[in-house]
Amino acid sequence: MDIKKNKYYKLWLKDAWPYITGAVLLSLFQIVTLATTGNPWGVSGVLATWGAWMYEAVGGSVDKWYYFASEGAQKSLEGGLINHGGSIRNIGIIIGALIATLLSSGFKIKKLKSWKQVVAAVLGGLLMGYGARIGFGCNIGALFSGIASLSLSGWVYAVFLFLGAIFGSKLLVKYFM
Amino acid sequence: MKEVELDCNGEACPIPLVKAENKLKEMEIGDVLIVQIDHSCAMKNVPEWARKEGHNVEIEEIDDGEWEIIIEKVK
Repeated sequence: MDIKKNKYYKLWLKDAWPYITGAVLLSLFQIVTLATTGNPWGVSGVLATWGAWMYEAVGGSVDKWYYFASEGAQKSLEGGLINHGGSIRNIGIIIGALIATLLSSGFKIKKLKSWKQVVAAVLGGLLMGYGARIGFGCNIGALFSGIASLSLSGWVYAVFLFLGAIFGSKLLVKYFM
Repeated sequence: MKEVELDCNGEACPIPLVKAENKLKEMEIGDVLIVQIDHSCAMKNVPEWARKEGHNVEIEEIDDGEWEIIIEKVK
C-alpha cells in the first residue's frame, strides 16, 4: 500500500498539526524541562554560550565579561557542549525539525530571491540577538517561559512584541512588496 | 475568466499572503489565482485566509517543499 495515501501518514506526518496541538505539546514539554533541569525553557541564552565558545576557540577570553561572571555561567562554559543541556536541546530542535520536514517530504533548499533578503536577515538576526541578550531572554525564555512562570515581565514583553510586529510589518510591506 | 500566476517561491511569511491579497483584489470574479510557494507556513495562512474570504481553494503539491495554491475568486 502506498504510504502517501495512508490516512495516518497524512494526519500525523504530512499535514501541519493544528496550532492547539502544538500549544498543548509545548506546554507539556516546558513543564518537563522545568521539572528536570530546574530552569525554564530558553533558546537564545544558549547561543551566547556558543558565541563564547567560538571566541575562546580563537584565543579570546570571556572570564572578565559581566554576562559570564556568575559561577553557574563559568561552570557551563567549562563543562563543554556535551554537559550543556540547553545546547543539546537546541541541537535536538534543529534535528527534530529536519526529521519532520523529511518525513513530510517537504525538504527543499531555497534560493535567495534578492540581496535585500540577506540584508534583512542579517540585520534582523543582529537586532534579535542583541535584544534577547540585553533583555535577558528571547520570545521563548522571556515571553513563553516568563508567562508560564506567572511573571509580569512576560506580559510586558508580549505587549511590546505586538507593537514591534506592527512596526516590522509596515517595514516589510514598504521594502519587500 | 483568466488565470494569473504569482511566483512567491523564496519568499517567507507573511509576504506570500500579502501579495496574494493584493493580487486577488485586482482580479475579477471567476478569475483564478495560482500562488506558487515553497514556504510551509504560507501553506497554512494563504489557504486559511482565502477560505475565510469565501473563495474556492485547492492545494497542489508540485515537488518536495513546493506547492501551488489555486484560488478561484467567487465574490
